[in-house]
Amino acid sequence: MTQSVAKLSVSVPSELAKAVRRRVGARGLSRFVARALTHELEREQLGSFLAELDAEAGLISAPELARARRVWPKR
Amino acid sequence: MAEALILDSEAVNALANASQRGTLAERARAILTIAHERRALVRVPAPVLSEVCRGPRFDAAVDRLLHGRGIAVIELTRGMAQRAGALLARSRLSSAHAVDAFVVASALSFEAAVIATGDPDDIRRLSAGQKQVRVFPV
Repeated sequence: MTQSVAKLSVSVPSELAKAVRRRVGARGLSRFVARALTHELEREQLGSFLAELDAEAGLISAPELARARRVWPKR
Repeated sequence: MAEALILDSEAVNALANASQRGTLAERARAILTIAHERRALVRVPAPVLSEVCRGPRFDAAVDRLLHGRGIAVIELTRGMAQRAGALLARSRLSSAHAVDAFVVASALSFEAAVIATGDPDDIRRLSAGQKQVRVFPV
């Protein structure tokens, strides 16, 4: 199934534009931007969801957060 | 590919029905919080839905979780299915563990992944030797 597409016109710093084009080439730009936008949108949505859960169920205890952090160290 | 948090059925149920799942929900929320801090993707392999969808009364909460909350489904592909089969064979597990194998196969498609699971023993067995996969029991 082919997804419909929309054209967006955005302005970004020229150094960033050059670096992205160097990295993905002109033909890969749309895909790269779409992936980046999807990731950022999901991150925003996840942040709102976590805040919603905090408001409903209270804050997560420090020991539970520490346990989760131990399993997932920073890279 | 990026880092990811992979949710199996227990984690999906805990987050979909957070107000009724006490400690399970708190653990699932904790690892979801760390995923957010690490800027990781949060994904549910499609076969997991076969364990959590049991008709409209139960599905509404799952549908809400997978809509506009930053959690997306990984669609099942032929390559993923074949990888899951290979994991079952290597681990000497029967196809009764197929969904667990899909969960691990999904995790292996990322550079690094944490699997939030209610079944850590089988997930550890299926992911043995795979350094990019970590297991978080909920």
